[in-house]
This record gives sequence, C-alpha cells and structure tokens, in this order.
Amino acid sequence: MLSEIALYGAIETGLIYGLVAFGIYLSFRVLHFPDLTVDGSFPLGAAVAAVLIIDGINPWVATGAAVLAGMGAGAVTALLNVKLKILNLLASILTMIALYSINLRIMGRPNIALLSEETVLTPWYELGLAYQQVPVLLFFIIAMIALVLLWRFMKSETGLAMRATGANPRMARAQGIATGAMVILGVALSNGLVGLAGALFAQSQGAADVTMGVGVIVIGLASLIGGEAVVTPRTVLLALVACIVGAILYRLAIAFALNADFIGLKAQDLNLVTAVLVTLAIVLPGSKASVRAYFARRSQ
Amino acid sequence: MITAKNLRLTFGQGTPLENPALRGMSLTVNQGEFVTVIGSNGAGKSTFLNALAGEVLVDSGSIVVDGQDVTRLPTHKRASRVARVFQDPLAGTCEDLTIDENLALAIKRGQRRGLSAAVKARYTDQFRSSLASLGLGLEDRLGDKMGLLSGGQRQAVSLLMASMTPSSILLLDEHTAALDPKTARFVLALTTNIIEQQSLTALMVTHSMKQALEVGTRTVMLHQGEVVFDIAGEDRKGLEVKDLLDLFEKQRGLEITDDSLLLG
Repeated sequence: MLSEIALYGAIETGLIYGLVAFGIYLSFRVLHFPDLTVDGSFPLGAAVAAVLIIDGINPWVATGAAVLAGMGAGAVTALLNVKLKILNLLASILTMIALYSINLRIMGRPNIALLSEETVLTPWYELGLAYQQVPVLLFFIIAMIALVLLWRFMKSETGLAMRATGANPRMARAQGIATGAMVILGVALSNGLVGLAGALFAQSQGAADVTMGVGVIVIGLASLIGGEAVVTPRTVLLALVACIVGAILYRLAIAFALNADFIGLKAQDLNLVTAVLVTLAIVLPGSKASVRAYFARRSQ
Repeated sequence: MITAKNLRLTFGQGTPLENPALRGMSLTVNQGEFVTVIGSNGAGKSTFLNALAGEVLVDSGSIVVDGQDVTRLPTHKRASRVARVFQDPLAGTCEDLTIDENLALAIKRGQRRGLSAAVKARYTDQFRSSLASLGLGLEDRLGDKMGLLSGGQRQAVSLLMASMTPSSILLLDEHTAALDPKTARFVLALTTNIIEQQSLTALMVTHSMKQALEVGTRTVMLHQGEVVFDIAGEDRKGLEVKDLLDLFEKQRGLEITDDSLLLG
C-alpha cells in the first residue's frame, strides 16, 4: 500500500494539477477551444519563477510573474486563432513548440535547481507541521482561492458572456458580446492558471526543467474527465470541484499503481497508465447505462 | 429608421460557384413599421437580414440605423440597435445556461459587461413577470437549464430576450418555420403582441405569403437580390395570395414556381 509520504506527495501534486485542470476546464469545456498550449505554458511558468527566484526576487512576485507569462502565452495562441484565423488546435501547437525554445532561452540551460533557494513554501515549514504536510496545506489554500475566484468570475457578467461565447457564438454576438475578445481573455486566463501550476510545481519539486511540460495536457484532461465522472458537473461550482477531486484521484491512482509491487509497474509505465486511466474515465461513465441494462435483462 | 441603400454582395467571388445574393437592394424601414419580407429560395431574404445584423458585410452599399452608418460594423457592435430571433429555435438561447442566465445575457445586450454578478436579485421580478406573460409556466423555472425546454418554448424565450431591451429594429428570420403548426401560431401571435405593445420596428422574413399578408403593416417581396414590390397601407388591405402572385407576374413577367411559397 501507499506510504504516508507517497500519499501526501500524491495529494500535493494533485492540488497543483487541479489548477491545470481549472485551466483546461476553461479552454476545453467553457470555450470549446482544444488548447495544447499548456504543455508549453506549464514549463514556462516554472522557468520564469525559477529564474526570478535564483535572481533573489521574492518567490510570490516570481510566481505572479509566472502567471502573467502563462497568460501571455495563452493570449498568443488565442490571437493566432482569432485574428489570423489559424485553426485553434494548430494555433496552440504552434505556441507550444515556440515555447520550448523560449523556455530554454529564459532559463539559459535545460534545468535550474531550486533546492537551496527560498520559495513560497519556505516560511510554511516553520509552522511546526510534518515536512510532507506543508506543501499540501499551502497548495490547498491556493487551490481554494483559485476555485472561489474562478467561480465568482464565471457567475459575473463577463464570465457569463464567456460561457455564452463557447456554447453559442452566434447568439453571443447577437447579444453584443465581442466573442473574439472573450476567447483571448479565456485562453489567457486558462494558461495563467497553468503557469501558476508550473511555478508551484517547480518550487515544490526543487527544480524547473524544460521537459517538465510533456503530457501536462493529458494529465489535466485525465483529471478533468475523471473528476466529471465522479462529481457530476451540474453547476459551475461542481465542475470546478470536480477538477480538484479528479486531479487528486488521478495522482492517487498513479501512486497506487506504481507502489503496488504485485502489479509489477515501474516509473517508466507512467504514460501508459495515464492513457489507460483516461480511456477508462471517458468510457466508464457512458457504459453505466449499458451495464445496468445488461443486469436488468439478466434479472428478468 | 433603417436605410439600406444599394446593397451588393456576391458569395464566392471569382470562383465557379460565384453567387450574387444581393444585387443593388434598397429598403427604408420607418419607425414603428412591421415589415414582412417574402421571396422564393435564393431571393436574398436571409442574406439581407444577415447584412442588417452584421453577420455578413456587404461588398458595397450602405446601411444606416437611426442616423449611424453601421455598414462596416461587426455584429456585436450593432447589437445595441439590432435585436434578432433566429430560424433555428435552439440558436437564440444557450442550452447549457439556465433560463435566468439567458435572460441576464439579453438584459445587457449591447452594453458593457463588468465583473458584478450577472444574475442580480433586482432582475428576478422583471424576469418572472415577463416569463409569466408567455403563459407557459416558465416563471417558476428560472433556475432550469434552457436545454430542458421544447423548441417552441425556447423560441418564445428568444423572442422575450430580443424585446427585453430597446432596439432600433427587431429582425425575425423565419422564426416560426421550424415549429409545428400549433406552436408556430402561438409564437406568431406572441410576436405580433410584443411588437404592438412595445411599438417595435420589425422586419420579419417568412416563407409563407399568407403569413406575410396576415401580420405586419407592410410587405416586401424580394427576387434575385432585389426588391420586386413593396406594398403598404390601403394598397395592402384585403390583398390575397393570388393578388401577390399577379403582382409578381406583372412586375417580372415570370410565374412563381416555388411550391412552398404558394402552399405555405
């Protein structure tokens, strides 16, 4: 079974990926904009935060800068789509590829260690909590603040306009909503959240690495879809709760699969396990009805 | 007042599929007029409406709404003056949003949207009373998702949304065509009620000549992207479908062959 450290570690990473899932909820679910920029904006957030932190900048300021950088990356993707009429998926792939070079430029090398630096976590270790509980507490607080702000925003006039833009753009335009501007704002916000996640991830793992973004989109999607399977997203609030729940469950499932020696899985099987989990998360909710129908037939 | 002058628009210009949809179309709609627009398939009815709404921009000509030249403005910048109900009953509302959220979108049509809560407590009474006026029992379902409503109910709500804030013109694009006959009659009656009560200026495209004569104060027929005839007032009283056909033949020396136009 899971050790205590592995359990807290899974929740900690789950909370960070919950922020990624928020971002993916905004782009994929609210705006119906399949945005792969996140594979680039996650390491972008990590790179910006890491470079500023080793320069001696306050880690919270560095994290804020990572959010802005992520928003900038998202805005570029959305502008490519809205202004230059490039297909949304392709626009996001272009930004993602470009970000690989940009991230290397920002860091000046493939990775930056943060082990001895002061991070947003440093002061929290003095609270007297067990070492592995500290990041869980801080990231839980951050995730809850993000959840409440995002929920309030989705209920605001502008947030409602954004939801209408994704659901029915023609109707949105007829109501006087500048749909292009909404897409730019939404994709920027989405990648700002992912940039935040990248910055926190680098600080909790003690390093930023240019390759750390590979597969972030799949993990985020897995969290989103898995969460929706567990928590039915009838309202915006439930949909956001589902993101966090899904991300933590996903990390727990991965940790369990890798820790259970009897299954025989190793760290290199991570991507395969992810793909299987995503497939299950997509297929299982839909098959509930057919399974029920099967047993109903059997019992007759 | 809406003045469309010499509108020209060709789809697929320079391709084998080149299709001139508007060929010098001009029409002036005065304040308080309720114009019904008829014409066979491809006459340019929907294109004309889309041009007025801003969904398509014309190649040449000008559109002036209450003194403002809107010819080059995109849809969302015209929305404060132009209200619209679509043919597809599902197109005018968002099914993923609740009824009150849809109405809250409409109450801000063409205005700045900020960060305050979209569905405000002070809207509730207004939403309830306007929904009650539909007589569909929707006033008790403000929190229901729009997708739970039938096509007719959704079209009725679309109509309500379009008339919620003042506009210079209300565009109705065959908005009863996709409904069953009974629901279509209900929505049409609702339309004429709202237009009369609020003395709206409206332009209604219809596929049925009979409907075009039954409602409204003026009837315009389009053919091949131009106005063929335009009748109002005394001339229009007592006209029947047959008279319209004669009028069309006299003007064009052509017979109408579009069955749906005759049978509708």
